[in-house]
Amino acid sequence: MSATQTVTREVTALDQPWNVVVHDDPVNLMDYVTWVFMKVLGYPRARAEKLMMEVHEQGRSVVWTGEREMAEHYTHQLQAFQLKTTMEKTDV
Amino acid sequence: MKAAPTLDGRLRIDVETDLDVVVLKSVVGDAAGETGSLADKLAAGMAGEIADDWQEFVLPDLREHYDQQVGTVARALADLSPGMAVFVAREDAGSWYGTFNQARLALEDRYQLSVKSPGPATPERRTALIRSNFYQVIQGMLLGFLMQE
Repeated sequence: MSATQTVTREVTALDQPWNVVVHDDPVNLMDYVTWVFMKVLGYPRARAEKLMMEVHEQGRSVVWTGEREMAEHYTHQLQAFQLKTTMEKTDV
Repeated sequence: MKAAPTLDGRLRIDVETDLDVVVLKSVVGDAAGETGSLADKLAAGMAGEIADDWQEFVLPDLREHYDQQVGTVARALADLSPGMAVFVAREDAGSWYGTFNQARLALEDRYQLSVKSPGPATPERRTALIRSNFYQVIQGMLLGFLMQE
């Protein structure tokens, strides 16, 4: 009778982080966008204003990066506040 | 029309004439046409692998949220007539702001108001611009008086 040998191989891979990207539009007021970043993402005013200016001047800004589930949550929230928002995988 | 913050932390909008009523109520019509497609526009460009899930699970929720915002404002303005005042409470400020925003997004989409017109503006475009500017003023007051901490 031959013995059965079981070999278990464990592979651990980290999920690739996701970027939450807010895009510029001609309607949303700058103060409002800053306010939304503070409310949804919990950023202090200075950081929220910096990101708002990035959106305004560069057309888009990566406002948050991390796990997919949280990225989906933030994207949903930002869209509920009527900011044009998408998710994309990081280049890592 | 007059609008000002009240001592108890609300925004009071006084409508004085028939025209005031028409102008204020127009926000509902301007916004209502947008709710169906606004969610799709705001989510356009989502990464391919999550686009289908977003379409199925998130966009219906967003559409309902936008509809609720417009519904809140529509109910508040339904019986409005000259000489009356509308009071916007802090807890409703988001719905009011959102409705005015939807209206401005819809007008921008329809008339490209942010783009300088190459020729003379049509009457429709001119009135749309006036409405959009009026909505923006109200938004500024909502944001400044009711929504900031």
